[in-house]
Amino acid sequence: MRHFINLLFVLIFCSTNVFGQEFLTEDGSVVFLSKAPMNEFEGKSNKLQGLVDLNKNLLDFYIDLNTLKTGIGLRDRHMRENYLETNKFPYAEFTGKIAEGPELKQGESRNVTAKGKFKIHGVEREIEVPGKIRKLNDSFLELEAEFKVLLGDYKIDIPKVMFYELSEEQTVTIKAKLKKK
Amino acid sequence: MMRKLLITLLLTFAFVSGSIAQLERKPANESQEVDLIFHAPRSINLFTVEPVDEKTLHFAIMHTFGTLDGGIQNLFGLDNGANIQFSFEYGFNDRFSLGMSRQSRDKMYNLYGRYHLLKQTQNDKMPLSVSLMGAAGVNSSNYQFLNEANPNFMERTSYAFQLMAARRFSDKISLQVSPMMAYFTDPNPIFLIEGDQNLYLALGFSGKFKITGKSSITLQYIPNLNSDLRSNLGVGIDLEAGGHVFQMYFVTSQALNDQYLLAAGNGVPGEEFRLGFNVNRVFATGKRR
Repeated sequence: MRHFINLLFVLIFCSTNVFGQEFLTEDGSVVFLSKAPMNEFEGKSNKLQGLVDLNKNLLDFYIDLNTLKTGIGLRDRHMRENYLETNKFPYAEFTGKIAEGPELKQGESRNVTAKGKFKIHGVEREIEVPGKIRKLNDSFLELEAEFKVLLGDYKIDIPKVMFYELSEEQTVTIKAKLKKK
Repeated sequence: MMRKLLITLLLTFAFVSGSIAQLERKPANESQEVDLIFHAPRSINLFTVEPVDEKTLHFAIMHTFGTLDGGIQNLFGLDNGANIQFSFEYGFNDRFSLGMSRQSRDKMYNLYGRYHLLKQTQNDKMPLSVSLMGAAGVNSSNYQFLNEANPNFMERTSYAFQLMAARRFSDKISLQVSPMMAYFTDPNPIFLIEGDQNLYLALGFSGKFKITGKSSITLQYIPNLNSDLRSNLGVGIDLEAGGHVFQMYFVTSQALNDQYLLAAGNGVPGEEFRLGFNVNRVFATGKRR
């Protein structure tokens, strides 16, 4: 009996520490840049939730869009109410895979391309995101990525009577430090 | 027995450690506040629970014109001179703002503050938004022709207080009830008010019915509780255009100042409606990102 239990603990111990390659974050940063000819502004959030599994080469990220701030309260409210419709579609999500590569040693980084599904405003599309993964040490991983989102692809209307000139093309930058589970 | 237990445990374990394919989607804030109960800090003539954000300045210009009954001859009241009120309101934080307004009728200056006590949340933990408004004003008209009867500063002062309780019932419908009072230190007949009492009590009702993403039908009804003056009635439309909110309405009173709204009297709804028009605009101050 004792033996079995001990064995079990050893197994658990081994598998999580040696084989487990899951990294998590709850405070990654997301920035979108709207660059229209007359008006450029950014929205930011530090609530990016993410999972990177280096065994399965799997990525999963999401953000609660209510946490995005552009620096002007009324613009945030209009963004939530009229464009992103966060009541109905609170999250932006990405789930995808990266190509297999050699195992990273401490301090090493690798350029990767993630292929997967990006979903916002209730519309899901296949996208490819180029990025960079760096292994800081055994327990931390850093990830950076940048990609473009065309609002029209996700049925987000640009206002006709505009005050904040909104760009059709939004550049999204993601940066996160993930901790080993 | 033992073996079975072990196998079960191992299997469970295999499942648990078998990595999660997807994170569970959880809201960052369980009690997310409800946005835009009204389009602006004003709805027709009444204050709303809508805050002025920290370090932003809300500017409103409000106009009301003559009565409609002159018809096209007077361009539906537009010829008869407008009452105009400018107001600036600055948000010190997300709950407290201070403002100043100036109404052309009786050259009324008002200082006012709003405090947001409660904010409605999407999960209904807080079903209502509740705010307070207090104002003190002075009539700065020139009454020198009255010689000795020229009212002094104190006699020209008046005060308003209201509590606003609002709820966004659905995506489309928002309602607000505002118990209000106004106090005139000396309700001098030379002032452009109809009432002769010091104290006026009323109940304000504001409604918003969203018709498209950026426009709403608005309603205002302010029955007087302690005077024989007619009640105020208004119907309008709010249009959001980026950082501006335009409000066009028909209303029974030309008053714009909060004390005057209760004391200045009202026309008969219908022919004595007046056209009104507000422009609301916010300016972000401080550090821009």
